[in-house]
Amino acid sequence: MAESNEKVLIKGNYAIAQAAINAGCQCYFGYPITPQTEIGEYLSAEMPKLGRGYVCAESEIAAINMVVGAVSTGVRAMTTSSSLAVALMQEALSYAASDELPVVLVNVMRAGPGLGYIYPAQGDYNQSVYGGGNGDYKIIVLAPSTVQECIDFTYRAFYLAQKYRNPVILLADGLLGQMMEPACFGKDPYPEVDVSSWALTGAKDRESRAIYSIGTDEKKQVQHIYNLFKKFEVIAENETSYEEFEVEDADIILTAFGSITRNIKAAMKVLRDKGVKAGCFRPVTLSPFPHKRINELASMGKDFAVVEMNMGQMFKDVKYAVEGKSNVSLINRPVGEWLSVEEIVSAVEKIMESKYAASIQYS
Amino acid sequence: MEKNFILAGFGGQGILLAGTILANAFMLEGKNVTWYPCYGAEMRGGTVNCEIVVSDSEVSSVHKQDTDYALVLNQQSFDKFVHRVKSGGTIVSNSSLVAESRPRSDIKYVFAPMTQIANDLGNSKVANMAALGVLASVCDVVSKEYLAKGFEKVMSGKKKELLPLNIKALELGYGILTQAK
Repeated sequence: MAESNEKVLIKGNYAIAQAAINAGCQCYFGYPITPQTEIGEYLSAEMPKLGRGYVCAESEIAAINMVVGAVSTGVRAMTTSSSLAVALMQEALSYAASDELPVVLVNVMRAGPGLGYIYPAQGDYNQSVYGGGNGDYKIIVLAPSTVQECIDFTYRAFYLAQKYRNPVILLADGLLGQMMEPACFGKDPYPEVDVSSWALTGAKDRESRAIYSIGTDEKKQVQHIYNLFKKFEVIAENETSYEEFEVEDADIILTAFGSITRNIKAAMKVLRDKGVKAGCFRPVTLSPFPHKRINELASMGKDFAVVEMNMGQMFKDVKYAVEGKSNVSLINRPVGEWLSVEEIVSAVEKIMESKYAASIQYS
Repeated sequence: MEKNFILAGFGGQGILLAGTILANAFMLEGKNVTWYPCYGAEMRGGTVNCEIVVSDSEVSSVHKQDTDYALVLNQQSFDKFVHRVKSGGTIVSNSSLVAESRPRSDIKYVFAPMTQIANDLGNSKVANMAALGVLASVCDVVSKEYLAKGFEKVMSGKKKELLPLNIKALELGYGILTQAK
């Protein structure tokens, strides 16, 4: 399966696992949780064969801190988990962001809040984009919408993490993790990143170095935070990505992230057949968020309908990007069965009738 | 063209495998396809199901509220999914374990003794292949030849030995309805 141009029918979870191997992930640390357990299962078999590290950690907190330790030596390492267990990892993400460490974390989202359950949801948009750790920091967040993108974005996650020395979250969901569709691994397309200037590899024949996040010197800490945010401006400039379909003549743009994107694309086609000029927009990077493009589209008078499987988390970012220039509506169900094409079509028709921003919630 | 299929039965009847073979068959035919399983606690000791969507263009949604075809291998699955079949759709049932009944008048019913076919071949595990054979015989979208190729693709290593028996089950399932006439 590794590095081949053959199309294979594969689960999202296995796709992420094999793509991590292809991307040169040297160490995996994880703790099982549905709906992403297959990632650890796969790597537990494959990593030892390659002489790479696999540890089933004693907890999620241990797992992410093991990743922090491993990546500080310059190797590629990853942990994977799901919603409530990713909540436990937030402290380490804050440390890793401050330490500028290339941690890669995969979150295959399930229903929350609290224990919730194993069916799919998109309720961790805020947790990923705004973070649950302390202080000011930013994480790069990539949201795949197909199994093929689970592969492509895993490659990209490892690359961006090292390129910018910044933690990256790959934000998938239970549907994507569990489903199969044809996909192709190809080859990791990104160049190797030189980590020799900062990695902790032993101080023989060079000055000693240390990685830490304590900021006892106030002035230096101020500068450190400014530097982190300047770095993220560069990331936003270079790496912000999105996908759009038929927005040129659209009156209303259906906007979604992740695996429900295919449903809005199908709804767009149905609406077009009915004479509604609908388009589609999908942020690929949730952080950095494509504010600029959304604002441009709003300036052209195009309305937005945000379709999400949560209570309207990305909806707020779209509204913020639109700056009141057009109407932004929300179509949602908090967890569970993805909104059907029919539900999305009927909600958009209602919104188009009223010509105002609406909130249409399904149970 | 887009069609979806729900395959359902007891855990252990090879439902998820049958779905994987069907999805591989569609992939090998060059079609767009998705496979989505139930992955809840319902799998443990109860019924199991998966949904396959096949499309000439991009699959519109992976998990739908209703289905064009239901392939059910036990009574519980019949009782549950007979109500999820689209008007004009078809439910294909394993008459070895499902009582013949027709609770709706707007769908088509196919009954075939899938477990019996497998038992007659001396291995009840191939009932899933017999089921796929029956499905291929009533559904234009599903090709028996590609199901055989799909099986080969899924089974690796030593399991390839099981190919002749499974192809036999597929063929018998495919022929059972015409034979009955």
